[in-house]
Amino acid sequence: MTVTRTLNVNGAEYTLALSPSDTLLDVLRDKLGLTGTKKGCNAGDCGACTVLVDGETANSCLLLAAEMEGKAITTIEGLTQNGKLTPIQKAFIHEGGTQCGFCTPGMVLSATALLNRNPSPTTDEIKEALSGNLCRCTGYTGILRAVRRCDHYRGDTDPSGEAKKERTDEGGKRAKHDTVGVSIPRVDAADKVTGRAQYTADLSLPNMLHGKILGSPIAHGRVKRIDKSKAEALPGVVAVITGDDVPETMYGVSPARYDEHILAREKVRHVGDEVAAVAAIDEKTAIKALSLIAVEYEELPAVFDQMEAVADGAPQLHDRYKNNINTHVDHTFGDIEKEFAESDHVREETFTGNNVYQSPLEPHASIATWDHDGTLVLYSSTQVPHYVQYMMAHVLHIPLGKVRVIRPTVGGGFGGKAATSPLDLCSAILSKKTGRPVKMVYSREEMFHYGRGRHKQHMKFKLGVDRNGKIKAFKSEIYLDGGAYSSFGVATAYYAGSVVPTLYHFPAYKYDGFRVMTNKPACGAMRGHGVPQPRFAFECLLTMIADDLGIDPIEIRRRNAMTPNTTTINEMDIGSCEFAATLDAACEKSGWNEKHGNLPPGRGIGVGCGGFVSGAGYCIYRGQVQMSHEKGREHFQKRSIFPHANAIVKISEDGMAAVLLIGAAEIGQGSDTVLTQMCAESLGIPSSRMRIRSEDSDISPLDLGAYSSRVTLMAGHAVSRAGEDVVNKMRPYAARMLGCDEADVEARAGRMFVRWDKDTKSPTQSAIPNPQSAIADQQSATDDVAWEEVARQYFNDNGPLVGTGCYKPPDGLGGDYKGSTVGTSPAYSFGTSVCELGVDLETGKVKIDRFTDYHDCGTPINPRAVHGQVEGAIVMGASETIMEDVQYDAKGQILNPDLHGYLTMTIKDAPEIFSGIVDSYEPRGPFGAKEIGEGSTLPVLGAVAHAIANATGVWIKDLPITPEKILNALRDKR
Amino acid sequence: MYMPDIELHEATTLERAAEFKARYAPNARLLAGGTDLLVDLKARRINVDHIVSLNRIDDLRGVSQTKDGLRIGALTTITQVGNSQLVRDRFSAILDATSRMAGPQIRNVATVGGNLACAVPCADLPPILTVMNASVLLWSPEGERRVPLETLIVNVRKTILRDNEVLTAVDVPTQPPRYGAAYAKFSLRDGMAIAVASVAAGLTLNKDNTICDARIVLGAVAPVPKLVESAGTLLLGQPPGEAAFRHAAEIAMKAAEPISDVRGSADFRRELVGVLTQRALKTACERARETVA
Repeated sequence: MTVTRTLNVNGAEYTLALSPSDTLLDVLRDKLGLTGTKKGCNAGDCGACTVLVDGETANSCLLLAAEMEGKAITTIEGLTQNGKLTPIQKAFIHEGGTQCGFCTPGMVLSATALLNRNPSPTTDEIKEALSGNLCRCTGYTGILRAVRRCDHYRGDTDPSGEAKKERTDEGGKRAKHDTVGVSIPRVDAADKVTGRAQYTADLSLPNMLHGKILGSPIAHGRVKRIDKSKAEALPGVVAVITGDDVPETMYGVSPARYDEHILAREKVRHVGDEVAAVAAIDEKTAIKALSLIAVEYEELPAVFDQMEAVADGAPQLHDRYKNNINTHVDHTFGDIEKEFAESDHVREETFTGNNVYQSPLEPHASIATWDHDGTLVLYSSTQVPHYVQYMMAHVLHIPLGKVRVIRPTVGGGFGGKAATSPLDLCSAILSKKTGRPVKMVYSREEMFHYGRGRHKQHMKFKLGVDRNGKIKAFKSEIYLDGGAYSSFGVATAYYAGSVVPTLYHFPAYKYDGFRVMTNKPACGAMRGHGVPQPRFAFECLLTMIADDLGIDPIEIRRRNAMTPNTTTINEMDIGSCEFAATLDAACEKSGWNEKHGNLPPGRGIGVGCGGFVSGAGYCIYRGQVQMSHEKGREHFQKRSIFPHANAIVKISEDGMAAVLLIGAAEIGQGSDTVLTQMCAESLGIPSSRMRIRSEDSDISPLDLGAYSSRVTLMAGHAVSRAGEDVVNKMRPYAARMLGCDEADVEARAGRMFVRWDKDTKSPTQSAIPNPQSAIADQQSATDDVAWEEVARQYFNDNGPLVGTGCYKPPDGLGGDYKGSTVGTSPAYSFGTSVCELGVDLETGKVKIDRFTDYHDCGTPINPRAVHGQVEGAIVMGASETIMEDVQYDAKGQILNPDLHGYLTMTIKDAPEIFSGIVDSYEPRGPFGAKEIGEGSTLPVLGAVAHAIANATGVWIKDLPITPEKILNALRDKR
Repeated sequence: MYMPDIELHEATTLERAAEFKARYAPNARLLAGGTDLLVDLKARRINVDHIVSLNRIDDLRGVSQTKDGLRIGALTTITQVGNSQLVRDRFSAILDATSRMAGPQIRNVATVGGNLACAVPCADLPPILTVMNASVLLWSPEGERRVPLETLIVNVRKTILRDNEVLTAVDVPTQPPRYGAAYAKFSLRDGMAIAVASVAAGLTLNKDNTICDARIVLGAVAPVPKLVESAGTLLLGQPPGEAAFRHAAEIAMKAAEPISDVRGSADFRRELVGVLTQRALKTACERARETVA
C-alpha cells in the first residue's frame, strides 16, 4: 500500500509516494536526503532525530510521515538561510556546544524552539527544554553555555574574532605561540551545527545493498544446522552467508588471542553472537530475511558471572582457556610481605564494578565496496582505521595495501569503536559476494549485543600504611568479567594493574589479575581502559584509611602523591607530574576545608584522583606493517618498529593553504582541531589557512588511531614535525629574500622574518609581526616577507612543497617482566576531582550538584577542548557511578539494550562543573602537552562514591551506586 | 526496531474511526500521538496490521471549562495541558504529572487520551487524574458512556474500551474548597524520567482541619493504577499530619503489588510507595490549606 502526501519541509513542498509505515525520520533521511536528522535509537529515547513540527520539537522517529501533511517541518538543514548561521548555531560553535556532533542537530533544534518562545530562558528552563536530547560527549556544559550566551551571537559580529586577538602571557608580553594554547573553535563545528557533517550511516553509494546480521538467541550452544533457503528465496534478498561462506581465519584485537569467528562455526557463546548475515535491497527486507533463516541449536549450560565461571565444573566457553581464564596476570614488585608486616594500619575491602556500555550516540556503521582492481574500500565508523585495515587484510587474506579505510565523521567512540566490527567484516564479504556496495548499521539493541563495554571487575584490595598514612604496601586481586571473547581484554587485565601505581608511591605492590570468560558479549576498552574500577576502589580504600587514621582525605593523597621524574615500582617512567598541584587547587577552589566534615546529613563532599597514559608505548601488534595474514608470531622488541603517527603537510601552489594529511581518527574528541593548531604553529601560519584530511587511508599516512589517549602527544609530534619540515624547505628561499642565515629564519603568523637579535641572542620583540597588522603592513615591512611568497618561490624551483613528520615512542619503555609493556607511555596525566552532592535519605536518590576538577594535562593545546573533555568525562563518569549497568536475565538476555532501560545522564542530571588546568610542561609532549580524554574519567568514580559515603555515612562498594543500594545500606546500618 | 507494514486509516469523524476499528478488531489500534504505539509496533509488543488515526478529528483537541469542571480532549497534547491557563489556575496538581513526563519532544506529541488508554502501568496521568475523581467519555455509535477513570484500566495495557469505542475526553470535576492534590514520582534520573513508583494523593479538609475526604492512587507498582480506598478511609476524620500520613503510607505499601525489573526490586518499590505517599499527602494538605489562605 502506498499513499501520496505533500510534505512541507524547510519551506519547500515535496509530493511523495510513501508507505504508511514510513516514519518521518526515514523519509527525511532516505527520500529527501536530509541526513542532518540523525537516527540514534529509533525509539524516542535519545532526541537525535529531533525536528520542529509547526515550531515545536518532536522525535521524527515516532511520527508517521503520512500524517505530516499540512504541517511545517523544519530540520537542521532548514535553519540556515542563504548560508547564514543562526545565533544559536554560532553559539554552539564558539562555546563548545558540539563535540562528536551526533546529538548536535537535535540539540540545536530544541534550543531553537526554546529561544523562539522564550528569548531569555533561565538555566532551569534551558535544562528542561533540552532534557529530551542525550549527549555523551560534552557533559552538556558547553551546550548549556551556548544557549545561555546565545544573545552574544546575534547580529553580524563574528565572535571568532576574539580568538584572533593578539595573545599575551601573564606578564603582558607577547605569548610564545600564536595558535597553540588558543581556544579556537573546533574545525568541524560549523559542519556539525548545520547538519552537513556526514556520518557513515548518512552515506549512500549507487546500487548499494543493505546488510543485517543474525545473532544467536541463546547464550551458549552448538550450531547444529542452518537452513538459509527460505531467506534466499525472499524477494529482494541478494545474498545470505553463514560460517561456511566466510574465511575460517579468526580475528580479534590482541594477536595472541584471536578467538572470534566472523560468523559462528561450531558454537555460539552469547546472545547476539553472529551466526549469519544477509544483503538485500533494503534494510527492511534484510531484517525480514533474518527471521527466515532456520538455525538449529543444541543449547549448552552457560555461565554469566566471572566468579562462578572460574569455579570447578563451570561450563567452559573455549577449549583453549582452561577454567575460563583468558588472561592471568601475576605481578609482584617489592617485598610485599615485609611492607605489610611493617604497616601500622592495614585494611582489606572488596569492591565490585559494573558493566558499563560506551553508548555513543552514533550507532556503528560500515559500508564496503570493492574497486575493480581488487581494492576493498571500507567506510567505517571507527576509532582505529589502521587496525581495521590490518584486520581486514588478515581475515580476507589480501595485502594491507589493498584495503582503503575511510572514516567518515564519527559520532563518539569511547573505546566502543576501537576494534574491527562484525559490520566491517560482513559488509566486506557480502560486498565481495554480490559485487555491490553493502551498507550495514547497528540498531541500538545490536550495539548492546556487540558489546565491548567496560569489564565488570571484582576487586579484593588490601592496603597497608604507616601511622602517617604513607603507603607501605598494596595488594590487589581482580577478576574481570570478560564476556565471551578476548577483544582488548588481555590489555584490560594488565591495565587494571599497571596504571594503579602511577598516582602514588608504592614501596611494594602485588597484583593478581584474572580475565574470565562468561556467556555475555565481549567486553573491551572503554575510556580509561581497565583502570576506572580499580581506581574507584583504590580511591575509596585510601579515603577509608584516611578516615580510620583521622587524616584529611586530601592530605593523605598529598603525602603519597607521585612526584616528577620518577620510575614507579612497576617501571613506568613518570616525567612531568603536577599531581600535588591539582590536589591543592581542587582543595582550595572547592572550599574543601570549610565543607569537609561540616555538612549536614544528606549533603556530601568527596575527593577522587586519577590519571592515565598519554598514548600506549607499543603498537597492538608486533613487528612491522606487512601483509598481515602472512605474519608469523614475532619476537617482542623493546622499541617501536615503525612510527605510530605520521603526517604529511602539503602546501597549496599559491602558498595560501596548507593541507594536513594524517590518519589520526577524529571521533568527536577534537583531534582534527588540536592537530591543525599544532601544525599551523610549526608552519608559522594562522590555523584558518589550514585544512585537515584525516578520514582516508589512501590520502593520509598511517596513524594508530584514537585509543590510549595517544593522539595529542603522538600525532601532535608528527604534525609539528611535518610543519617544521616545510619551514626547513622554505628556509633557503626566505634567507635569500631576507638577506640572513637560513638558521635565523623564523615563520610566524603567516610571515617569515629574521629570528635573532644578533647582539643579545634573544627573540626580537619588534621583529615579531603583529598577526593582525601583518598583512596591512606588508609594504612597510622590510625585514619580513609573506609566508606564501616564500612558498611560491619554493614551488617555482622544486614543485610540490610538502613536509613529512613522524613519531615513535621512546625506545626501551617499561620493565623486562611479562606484560611490562601495558601501561607504558611517554607521559602520564594527573588529576583531582571534588564532588558535591545531595542524597535523599528516604529514597536514596543522589543529586550530584557540583564538580571541581583540576588536571595536569601538560600545557594545553586548546584549553576549551581540554575543558570539553573534562566536562564530558565527569558526566560520563558520574553517570556510570550512579546509574549505568547492562543487566542480564538468568538466560543471558540483556534486559536493557536500549536508552530507555540503560540510563545515561540527561542535562537535568548533569552537575555544574568547574574545570581547571594546572601549570605543567611535559618535555616529551609536543609544545609540552599530554593527554586529557581518558585521564579525566578516572578521578570521577571515587569522588562520587566518597561524596555519597560522606552524605550518608555508608560506603557502597559495588557499582552503580543506586538509590536502592543506598537505602539497603542505610537500613543495614540502623 | 523498525516499523512493520501497516495499513493506515485516517478517520475524519468518530463514526469512521469506530467503524474502522470495529471492522479490523482485534487487528487494529487507534493512533493518537503515537509515542507509545510506534515504539510498541517497532518492538513487536503490538502486532496489528491496521492503524486507525484519530488525528484528523479536531474536535478531540483542546482544554475547556464545563459547568462541572475541566474537560480535556483526548488528542490534547501533554504540552497543551501544561500550557492551559485553566489547568494552571484551578487544576494545577495535574502539572505535577505533565511537567515531569518524558521529555519535551514526547510531551509535544503524546496525548492525554493516549496516556490513559495505553494503560501502561508507569503512566503519569492515570494516578493524579483518578485522585481528582476524573471520568472518561467513551464514544461509540451506540452512544456515549461516562465511566470513572479508575474503572478504565483493567490490566497491563488493557482497558474496558470496546472494539468500536473511542476515548474522547477526560473530565475533571471542579475541586471543592479546602481541596488539594499532589503527585509524587520517583525516577532514576531527572530528565526523560520514567516512574519507578509514583503516588497521587488528594484530600479535602473540614473547616475544623480534619480530613473529610481522601484518595490515594499508586502508579507503577501494580498492573493498574491502584486506588487504595482503605488508606483514604483511614484518614477520614483525622487531623492531617505526620502520624496520619505515616499510617496511610503503611496501608499503601501493603496494597502495592510491585514487580522487580531493571529499575528496581519489588521491595524497593514498596519502600518508595511509603515515602511517596507521605510526601504526596503532605503536599496535597499544604495545597488544601492554600485554597483558603
